[in-house]
Amino acid sequence: MFVRLDVPRVFGSDLLEDLLTDFTPAYPTYERWFPAIDVAEYENQSVVVAELPGVRKEDLKIAVENGVLTISGERKPYEIPQNARVLINEMRVMNFRRSIELPHEVEIDKISAELQNGVLRITLPKTEASRAHTIAIQ
Amino acid sequence: MGNNNVALTRRVTSSLAQRVEPFHASVTPVADVYETGDAFVVKLDLPGATKESISISVDPNSLSVRASVQPHHQETASLLHNEIGVKNYQRDFNLGEGIDHNGVKAEFVDGVLTITLPKTEWLKAKEITIS
Repeated sequence: MFVRLDVPRVFGSDLLEDLLTDFTPAYPTYERWFPAIDVAEYENQSVVVAELPGVRKEDLKIAVENGVLTISGERKPYEIPQNARVLINEMRVMNFRRSIELPHEVEIDKISAELQNGVLRITLPKTEASRAHTIAIQ
Repeated sequence: MGNNNVALTRRVTSSLAQRVEPFHASVTPVADVYETGDAFVVKLDLPGATKESISISVDPNSLSVRASVQPHHQETASLLHNEIGVKNYQRDFNLGEGIDHNGVKAEFVDGVLTITLPKTEWLKAKEITIS
């Protein structure tokens, strides 16, 4: 469960509220989203799958550094008409970040990623050295 | 008695020999609903579903959404992390009167389904000017 931290209202003072909001990060920071992921290892590659509904390609960042894969970005709010009345609000608009240690060495230049139907799929080919080799007994 | 046991054993063995269908968990997707002057809009997070796998049905009292997600991995995969799983989505909403059932529209973008349920004329907000 998320804990919602509300900005305290002090006698409805605009000045105080402004000061507090200036120093208090926006709500999404408190409600950090850790997307669900799968990591599947195959003979010659690994595939990382992450559920990212409502996230656009341009709001998503994938990075590999020191053997750690990081997926981060933001789910932006959708447009809603001004006169709309909200009846149910379960979707959260927030930043997300998820890092995983790669299970093997990866050909960095050959990593590919696709985002389709709210699911990110990253293919990470193994380096020659990290593939399983069968050694014949002489 | 003995025959029964043999039959049972055979049945168990043959059912084990069949390819085991992956367990499909039924998941209630996260939703947003808002009302505008002339429609209700329902949004559902359905990551991994496809346009073809989604079924939407509207009857006088309810809206129901079903969708399925195909497995993300091949059988040869060894799963090091497994949080997503194989699942079906299902969620139902009660509908009041005053929805134009023939005008319901839906679109699926970035794993988010948006269903627009237009209001019938008599439910739409109107401003009355005093003459």
